[in-house]
Order: sequence, then C-alpha cells, then structure tokens
Amino acid sequence: MTTPDTTHAARTSTPAVPMVGRSVPADDAGAIVSGALSYVTDRRASGMVWAAVHRSVHPHAHLRSVDTSRAVAESGVIAVLTGVDVPNNHLGSDPANGPVLADQVVRQVGEAIALVAAVDEATARRAAALIQVEYEPLPVVSGPVTAPDEVASVSLHPGGNVAGTIGFRSGDVDAALGTAELVVEMDTVTSAQEHVAIETPGGMAEWDLGKVTIWCGSQNPGLHRRLVAHALGLDADDVRLISNPVGGAFGSRNDDPVPVYLALLAWHTRRPVHLHLSREETTVAGPKRHPYRTRVRIAVDGAGMLSAIDSRAIADTGPYVTSGRYVLKTSAEMSVGPYATPNARFDGTVAYSNNANAGAFRGFGVPQVAFGLELAMSRAAERLRLDPAELRRRNLLRAGGRHSLYGHPVGHGFRAVETLDAAAEHPFWREREAWAAGSVGPWRRGTGIALAIKGVGMGSGRGDIARARLIVATDGQINIWAGPNHTGQAIETSYRQVAADVLGLPADRIRVHVGDTELVPESGATAASRSMYAGGAAVERVCAQLRAALDEAGAGRPLQEVAAELVAAGRAEYEAEFPLPDVADPGRIPPEALAEYAPHAVYGCSAQVVRLEVNRLTGEVRLHGVVCAVDAGVAINPGATIGQAEGGVAQGIGFALFEEYRVHEGRPVTTGLENYLVPTAVDTPPIETILVPGYEGTGPFGAKGMSEVVVVPTAPAIAAAIGAATGVWPQHLPVTPERLWTALRAADGVVAA
Amino acid sequence: MNVNGTAVTGYDAGARLLDVIREHLGLRGTKEGCGVGECGSCTVLLDGEPVCSCLVLAGQAEGREVTTVEGLASCPAGARLREQLVDHQALQCGYCIPGVMVSATAHLSRTEEVTEESVRTAISGNLCRCTGYTKLVSAVLTAASDTGAHS
Ligand code: FES
Ligand code: FES
Repeated sequence: MTTPDTTHAARTSTPAVPMVGRSVPADDAGAIVSGALSYVTDRRASGMVWAAVHRSVHPHAHLRSVDTSRAVAESGVIAVLTGVDVPNNHLGSDPANGPVLADQVVRQVGEAIALVAAVDEATARRAAALIQVEYEPLPVVSGPVTAPDEVASVSLHPGGNVAGTIGFRSGDVDAALGTAELVVEMDTVTSAQEHVAIETPGGMAEWDLGKVTIWCGSQNPGLHRRLVAHALGLDADDVRLISNPVGGAFGSRNDDPVPVYLALLAWHTRRPVHLHLSREETTVAGPKRHPYRTRVRIAVDGAGMLSAIDSRAIADTGPYVTSGRYVLKTSAEMSVGPYATPNARFDGTVAYSNNANAGAFRGFGVPQVAFGLELAMSRAAERLRLDPAELRRRNLLRAGGRHSLYGHPVGHGFRAVETLDAAAEHPFWREREAWAAGSVGPWRRGTGIALAIKGVGMGSGRGDIARARLIVATDGQINIWAGPNHTGQAIETSYRQVAADVLGLPADRIRVHVGDTELVPESGATAASRSMYAGGAAVERVCAQLRAALDEAGAGRPLQEVAAELVAAGRAEYEAEFPLPDVADPGRIPPEALAEYAPHAVYGCSAQVVRLEVNRLTGEVRLHGVVCAVDAGVAINPGATIGQAEGGVAQGIGFALFEEYRVHEGRPVTTGLENYLVPTAVDTPPIETILVPGYEGTGPFGAKGMSEVVVVPTAPAIAAAIGAATGVWPQHLPVTPERLWTALRAADGVVAA
Repeated sequence: MNVNGTAVTGYDAGARLLDVIREHLGLRGTKEGCGVGECGSCTVLLDGEPVCSCLVLAGQAEGREVTTVEGLASCPAGARLREQLVDHQALQCGYCIPGVMVSATAHLSRTEEVTEESVRTAISGNLCRCTGYTKLVSAVLTAASDTGAHS
C-alpha cells in the first residue's frame, strides 16, 4: 500500500515496484461490494419525471395512425412524444439506420413509436399502454438465414434487402478444391445471441441553460453525442454524455438509442428524466449478435497441409443497419483464421429482415465464421488420423507472415504458435485418451481444441485514434482524462498502472477519468479489443510528455515544487493521441480500397481446450472444464485480464450450448430470461486461463487487446469435443439437448441401417 | 419491517419490496435486472433467507427482518466476502455483485461444509454476465476458509 507523499521525488528512473504486470483490483471495487456504487440507472434528481416507451407489436406494418389522446389525458402525464416531436427523426445519417421513433412504417416487433414522461414509473407505463396505434400489416421478411429465397420478395428499404456484400479471393480456390486429397465441408448456423448486460439500458438526462446532460451507458460516447445532437438539431458541444458506472455492455451499448430518448424527453419537458428499460423490452428490442449461415470448405493434402479455405456467409442484420457491414468485413478477414494457405475465398452478404436488429457483439462477426472453420480443422484431423493440434500447428501463420486472403503482413507480436502450444500442453489435451477411456454408461467423454484470432482496433484506413489529456496541479496531483470508456472492465485502473510506470510515480498520485464527453478527448469506441491497447498507448504518450518536463526540471527535486513551477510556467496541461497503426503494406488489397477491407496489423489470439461428457441417450452435455490460453501481449493487469478471459469463455459457452433469441415470422418467441438461457454458476465449469508470454511492440508496455478473441474458440472446441465423444459433429448452434438428441438419433439410424 | 436493523414505516404495503428498498429507503445497492425472479440482482435476506425482492410485496415483509447488501458488513461472513471479492478481482461491472454478496453470505453463515459445488449451487440464482464465475467461486471459498466453514 502506498500512502500520499507530497514530498515524493519528481523523478525516479524506474519505480521501485512497477505497476504494470501487477494484479490491481478495480478502483470501484470497494464501492461495488458495499452496494455504494451509483450506476447510471440509480441516479435520481429532485423534480425528476419517469419515462416509458410505447413499442410496435407488429414485425412489419404501415402506421395508419398513432392516437396519443388517452395517454395525454391520463392524470400525472407530463409529455407524450411521437416521431413528429423529433426535430431530425433519424438515428444517424443513413436512412437505413432507422428513425428515432417510427412514424410511417415499423419493421420490427418492439420498435419504439412513442415516449411518455409522467410523475412516476407506473403512470408512465400505464399511459404508454393507452396509446392507440392503427397498423396496416405488411408481408414479413423472415430473414436470410431461415428463408434465403424470400429475401428478395419484399423490400424493407428502397435499395432492396441486401445491406452489404463483400467478396475477396486469393489464388485459385476451385482448382485447389478439385485436386485436394481431402475436402471437409461444414454448413453451420449460428443463432442470434442477446448480450444480457445485467443492467438493462437506461439512465437520466437533464436540460439546463441550453445544454443537455445525459447519464447513460455508452461504448462510444462521442458517437452518441453526435447522434443526440443530430436528432435534436443541437450543437454537439451542447450535449454532454456521462457514460458510467454501468452494468456491462459487450457490444449492446454501441448504438443503443436510449441516450437519444433521454435527451429528447429532457429537452421537451425541461425536467430531469429517468428511463430504465425492462428486461422484456431489452430482450425484444435490443441488438443481437448477427445470426449467420456459413458454408466453409477446406482442402487438405495427405501431409495435412491446407491448400484452400473457402467460405460463404450470409448474415441477418434485422430491420436497420448499424454495424452489420463492418461485422461482415471482420468475418471476411478472420475467415481464414490464423492459417497460411495459398488459396482463399470469402463471399459474404448481410441482409435485412423483420427479425431482431443485429449489431455489435463481442467477437464482431468472428465467432460465426470461426465456428465452421475450426470444426472443419478438427474433423479433417480426425479423417487424417492426425492430432488436431498438430494439424493446426503445421498450417499456422507465423509472426511477420502474410495474411492468406488479403496478403498483408501480420505484425511481429503475432503469437498463434505459442498460444496453441500453451493450450495443447495442458493435461486436458495431453490426457484426452485417458479421459475418453473413462466413459461410463450413456455418458461419453470427449475433448476438443480450437484456435482463433481477432484483429485489434477498427482496422487499417479507418483513421482509428485514441486520445488522452493530463493536468498536473500545484500540489503534484495528476489528473488524466482518457478514452476509450469502460463498461465494467475497470480500464481506468489499468490506465493508471501505465501512467504510474511512465511517470515513475506512485499510482495514488494519479487519477484517471473516463466516459465524459465534456472532459475526455474523443477516443472512439470501447470495442474492437482496442481500449487497453489504444487508450493505454495514448496515456503512455501523454505521460511521457510530463515525464520529459519533470526530467528537464531536474532529478530528485520534490514533485510538489516542480509541479508548482510547471503550473506557473503554463506547462501544466498536456494532450496526446495514438493513431492505431495501419498495415505496413496492403498486400493484395488495392491501396485506395484499404478502408473497405480494413485489415489489421495487430491480432489477439486464443486457443482453448474443452473437456466434457455427452449423454448419448438424452443429448445432454456436461462441461468439466475449459482451458483458455490467450495472447494479450504483456498483461498490464493480469488479474483483470484473466477475468476478461473467463467472462468471454462463459459467453462462448452460452453461444455454444444455450443462447438463442428466437423469432417466428418476425414475432419473438423469446421474451426474457425465463426462455433465453444464459449460463449460471452451475452450468459453467471451472475455467483455467493461461496468459501466453508475448510482446506487442506497438502497444503500451507491450500490451494488446484480448477481450473479444476469448469468446471465439469456445464453441468450436465444445462441438469438436462432442464430435470426439459421439461421432456426431454439431453444426447448428446452440447445441441444445433437443438438437443433439435428434442428431444422435439420426446417426444411430444410419448405423443401424 | 426492519431493514438492516432499523425500523421502517410509511411504505405502501402493495409495492414490491424491491421498490420500497430502492425508492422509499433510497438503498440503491439492491439492483433490478429482470423484475421477474430470473436474475438474482435484487436478492435480499428476509429473516436470513435469500429472496428475490422483486417477487415479494412489502406487506409480506411486515414484522420481519430485511437485510440488503448495505447491511452485510456487520456480519463476519459478509465482511470477509467483501474483502475476498475485491482481492480476487472477482468482479467486473459489479451489477450482479450485491445479489451475489447476499446469496453467498447466507450460504457461508449457515453451511458447515462449504465446497465448490455448494457455492456454485448457492449462487446459481445470481446471473453474472461478466466474470464466468470462476473468480467469484474462489473468492467465496477463500472467505469460507477464513471463517472456518470451508471443508
Ligand atoms: S430483478 Fe429480481 S430476480 Fe431479477
Ligand atoms: S460483474 Fe457484471 S454482471 Fe457480474
């Protein structure tokens, strides 16, 4: 424990105990365990009014009329707003981003039509239910995954139902497939996954002196500020968003419309407004992981060398497009995984439907395509009687090697070999035969392995930048405002560790603030595994500036004295930015189209081993353990990094075995946590994380992002373990007992015949 | 009713216990994650039993002892748990943690032999979307061994 020491020397060449590499509890941890931390939805103000949302009950319909008269007449109601009350009724600049409040057509059950503010929550909800909407139903587009032929029959947007496509090839895939010794094909379906951040969207907003302040979770406060300003016709400077503390995000707070609803209500009522969505409305109206249908074919020669990877993917983005096109881009880049092959092809389409709107979700298009690829690798190994880890090892891309599809060089921090080896050396993998031999009765035992990579940052050509600002006070206290924001990862604690080591000062001299658009320079999204890497690098740079000024003032002098001099000299404030590096050479990508493909120079990597049992009679799966090897470069805060890995694996387990947001002809079948299952403490086995030693030369102290890639290998490792245990290779996620039972019965039928 | 040892009056007996705790008493450590008994974020002790306060009407708590996360520090198991959850870096966003604290404290207070399995079962009604539970379970086990309840 360090205690404040105002006479601390201004310069120590290296801190006695470096903070980087130490497992430091989150700054807010004490307040969390005592119940004292006030989240955005816990905020209250005097004179505050409560809001509710009226939502569509039809998946696709013209709105003939919206009659708010009964709601307006309800006692205690302060405002009822519809589309006509929104100055610019758009959630972004592209009409396909959708309206703030639907005023002509609804394209999804749960789409917002009206907002109500009232004296209390019960009145607001009651009044919202009194709004009468007359619908003229339109034909429903069930989506490209379940009904690919129907996509073209009804257009949800003027340009048709295709929201985006991407195609790219290298070498001659067809020739390689035609001549290969072995071709393994997987035809996979992955389902819509709901984020289930435990705090549902909500918060508070206040209008004061021509400015609106919003307290609401956001993974991209700068973007939300612009969305609010655009919809309300305000100057972005008149919108302030304070975006934490908040209870989780995982992608769901990237383009959540709630900050816009809050601002709109505060602007109309001129009162503090509170809104907190229910779990049911979040489940139905909130974004989902894009459901995909993916066909992957790999061609392998007798020596186990990959000669081609061929993928075709179709994604369902729901009624409007937010991140869908970027999700598909990420799928394309990661469709070849960490493998080297001379021939590769990816063809992808993202299409509209009247299903749930799909957006960003941890992993961002990678879990969907990696599932089939990794399953195909495991299956190919089985067919060739090779160790599945060995088959992968033979085909791995090495640091500095070129990407199989795009041909750009991957960075020197790439550690796929080391990551795979770390997982494969674990007893779970080495002793898999002994594990299988212990099968008893209908419980068949299996072990699976899988590997994945995920790019760090938005990708080349996208102008991705993080920033930091620092002020030193006369008493030597240092305040840093940096981004990206956090949504539960306690990123500010890790930023503080970086700052302490650059400055050579005890961490308690430094305060770090995130998630406030008024104070933090714009730093982009808490997404794409970029926060620690990019935000940490910006903090490193801003601290290096102060460090240089302290050094210049002379070593060994009391910090307080030097700080006072810097303040007096007008040198107390510093700003720095970190532009994420683009690829050194775009390879096969035409340089002018770099941003269209947005390849990465830096990748995180994870390899996982799953040990499980399958009941051959019931299709039930019991997980016995997951080993997660992850390459995070240098882990700034290893305890926090391991926590991220474990949480990611649990979400991967949910994606593999439990989680499916279901709709039938546009109508939700899944409505809440009673029929959308997320893993509990008894469903989740012990998870063992191995931090693979690495060093990312472009990152702060060698760190890079890892929080997304850990979600990816879990499902294919589980499916491969089921394959090893039963001979049935499940290709439809989640692998529910019903689905597996059906597949096992079908396989038994074939055997019996 | 008594909440964390203090007598409470003037609430609407027909309101949800969760709303009385959060809005009437302003004890916002207790969270709402679903409102229908599925997530455990609203867990409180009712005469020492963990219950979902979103499913209990205030009238049902009449004359009984309610303990929320804010009141757990006064019992030894609660205090140990707080410390271990922090030291193990067992929490992330923390929104589930008040509920986990309540369920786990009840478990430690009345279980002779605390095992990994018993801890997982005790917190199986508390959904956590951030942590994957591994660190939560080891924090609770360490707190149990500190209070002598760990087998
Ligand atoms: S809020 Fe009570 S169980 Fe979820
Ligand atoms: S720590 Fe976020 S839900 Fe448990």
